[in-house]
Amino acid sequence: MANVTLDRLTKRYANATDVAVSDVSLGIADGEFMVLLGPSGCGKSTTLRMIAGLEPISEGTLTIDGVRMNDVPAKDRDIAMVFQSYALYPHMTVYENLAFGLKRRGLAKEDIDRRVRAATQMLGLNDFLARKPFALSGGQRQRVALGRAIVREPRVFLFDEPLSNLDASLRVSTRNELIKLHQRLKATMIYVTHDQIEAMTMGTRICIMNKGRVAQIGPPLEVYRAPADTFVASFLGNPPMNLLPARIEAAEGQPLVALGAHRLTLPGVDADALLPHAGRDVVFGIRPEDVRERRAGGSAAEIAGVVTAVEPLGAETLVTLAPDGIGCELVLRGGRDCRSRVGERFLAAFDLSATHIFSAETTRIIARGGAVPLSYPTAFPIEEVRA
Amino acid sequence: MIWKQALPRALILLALSLYTAYAAGPFLWIASMSLRSTQDIFDNPYALPLAPQFGKYVTAWTTSNYGVYFTNSTVVVVAAVLILTVVGAMAAHALARYKFPGNRFVFFLIFSTIIFPPQITIIALFQVLVDYGLFNSLTGLTLSYVALQLPLTIFLLESFFARLPQDLFDAARMDGYSDWEIFWRITLPVGLPAVATTIILNFIHLWNEFLYAVVLITDENKRTLPLGIMKFMGDQLQDIGMIATGMMIAVIPVIVLYAFFSEKLIQGMTAGAVK
Repeated sequence: MANVTLDRLTKRYANATDVAVSDVSLGIADGEFMVLLGPSGCGKSTTLRMIAGLEPISEGTLTIDGVRMNDVPAKDRDIAMVFQSYALYPHMTVYENLAFGLKRRGLAKEDIDRRVRAATQMLGLNDFLARKPFALSGGQRQRVALGRAIVREPRVFLFDEPLSNLDASLRVSTRNELIKLHQRLKATMIYVTHDQIEAMTMGTRICIMNKGRVAQIGPPLEVYRAPADTFVASFLGNPPMNLLPARIEAAEGQPLVALGAHRLTLPGVDADALLPHAGRDVVFGIRPEDVRERRAGGSAAEIAGVVTAVEPLGAETLVTLAPDGIGCELVLRGGRDCRSRVGERFLAAFDLSATHIFSAETTRIIARGGAVPLSYPTAFPIEEVRA
Repeated sequence: MIWKQALPRALILLALSLYTAYAAGPFLWIASMSLRSTQDIFDNPYALPLAPQFGKYVTAWTTSNYGVYFTNSTVVVVAAVLILTVVGAMAAHALARYKFPGNRFVFFLIFSTIIFPPQITIIALFQVLVDYGLFNSLTGLTLSYVALQLPLTIFLLESFFARLPQDLFDAARMDGYSDWEIFWRITLPVGLPAVATTIILNFIHLWNEFLYAVVLITDENKRTLPLGIMKFMGDQLQDIGMIATGMMIAVIPVIVLYAFFSEKLIQGMTAGAVK
C-alpha cells in the first residue's frame, strides 16, 4: 500500500485559456479512502488521470511513497483504475478480462489463475467467467471492472465515478460492497464522484474541488458541518445550506448580524472575527435542519414569512419559505406531520448557534456559531482501517 | 383485425421478394448461361440449362488460361487487401487516437485524393511505374491497388475507431500494454466489424478492377480475371456462353468471402445505429 502526495499539481491543456487543474496539493495516507468530490468540469477526473499517468502533469509533483512519479509511465506506477464506463474488453471473456493485465506482467499461468479465481470468488463472479461483457448486467460488469483492479494487487486503487451507470438500488448495494472491500483490502483508494452521498458515506476524507482548485479537504462530517466557503456550503447537503444576504453591524462594541429587519446576536461566535467586517455585506448561512417551525427557547430567533412550496418526503417535509424583508427564499426541514400549505403564514426559528457567516466578497468563512464543533470523527478512521 | 396485422407484413414480404428477384435475377441468369453453349443462348436466352455443360468450366480453366488469371488475381488482390488492411488500420488508429499537430490536415489530405477519378492519375501512375521498373509486374499492380484504395480504407476505419471509447485504451495502458500491443490486441479485434467491411469492399472492388489492370499489365501470363473475360469479347463475335462461365469463376471467391464475413459486414454497416 502507499502514501500518495500531490504537490501543487497543475494541468494546462494546449489551446485552452483556463487551467483544468490548478495548484492542487493533497496528501493521501496509506490505507485512506480519499474522495474527490465536485461538480462536472471541476477537474477531479483530470486530477485522477494525472495520478494514473493517463494525463501528463503540466506543473507540480506527484509522489507515491516518496518517489516522484511525474515521468513514470502509467504501467509502471503500480496503480489500478476502475473506469466510469467499466472499459471491459468486449472481445474477451470475464476470465480473459481479469487475466489480461496479469499476462502482460509475466505472471505464471498458475498465479494468474489463482488470483483471478480469488477475485471472482470475492466478487461473486464465479458463474460468469466464460461470459463476454455484453452478456452481463450493469452490476456484473461493474464487479468485473472492480475485479480487474483487485487481481493486480496494486499499491493504489483509483475509481472514476464507478457507480454512476448503475440504477439507484444497485448503486446503494455496490456502495456498501466498496466500503467493505476497502476495509478488507486496507488499500489506499482515491475515488472520484459528483455524488455527495457517495462521498459522505464512503470517504475517510473528502477533497471538494471547484473550478480546478481544492475548495476544502476534511472528514465528511467536517466539510458538511464546517464548510470553508459558500461553494462547499451550497454543494454539500440536499437541500443545500440556506445562504441569505446579510450585513454586519456593531453596537456597543458587539457585532450584530442584520438580516432583513432582524438584528441577531450570534451565540458563541468569535466577536473579534466579525467586528472587522462591520458595515460590510456578508452571507448568512444556515442548514435546513437548523431551521425549525416555531422552535422556542435557546438561542433561536424567529422569522416570519409565507410558504411558497411544500414537499412531503415521507420521513420529513421540506418547506420553502419567503421570509419577510429578506428578499430570497429559505428551505427548512419540517417534521413528517408538517401541515403547512402554500400561501400560509409561517413562523420559522433559527438555531443561531449553528449559523455560518461568509464574506460576501471572498465567499470564505468568517465565523461560525458555537454549536459547530471543530473536529469530527470519521466513519472509517485510517487507524481502524490499518488495524 | 387479422388483416390489419397481416397486411403490412405481406406488403413487406412482397417488397423484399421483388427486391430479391431484382438483385439475384441477373446472377441466376448468368449462372444459367454459364452452363449453356453460346448457340443455345442465342436460340433462347432465358431457357434453363436442361443439359448443363459443366465441361465449360474445365475448358475455361485449362484452355482459356483462366487458371493463370485466377492465380494472378488472387495473388494481387490478396496481397493488396492484406497491405491495405494492416497499413490502413494503423493509419486510422493513429489518426483516431493520437492528438498531434496537423492530425486533421493529414486526414483530409489523404481523404481528398478520393475526389480524383482514376483516369486522371493513370498516365502519371504509368510513368511512375515505368521509372521504378514496376510496369507490367504484379508487384506494380498490387502497389497501385493499395494506393487506389488506401484513402477510402483509412476514412472508413478512422470513423469507426474514433467511436471506440477512450477508456478501453486507457485501461489497456494501465494494464501495461504498449501502443503497438494495444493496436493489435484492442483496436483490431474490437474494430473487427469495420475491418471486415473494408476487407470485403476492397476485395470486391479490386477483384473486379479493370482499368489499372488493362493499362499496367501487358503480358498474357500476368493478366488478371477481368482481362481474361475480355478475351471472349471480339470485334465480330462475343462468346456469351464462355463470358458467363468466366464471370462465374470470377464471382465465386467474392461470394465465399461475403458468406464468411457477412455477419461482421452487417455489424460494421449498422454500428452505432442501435445502442
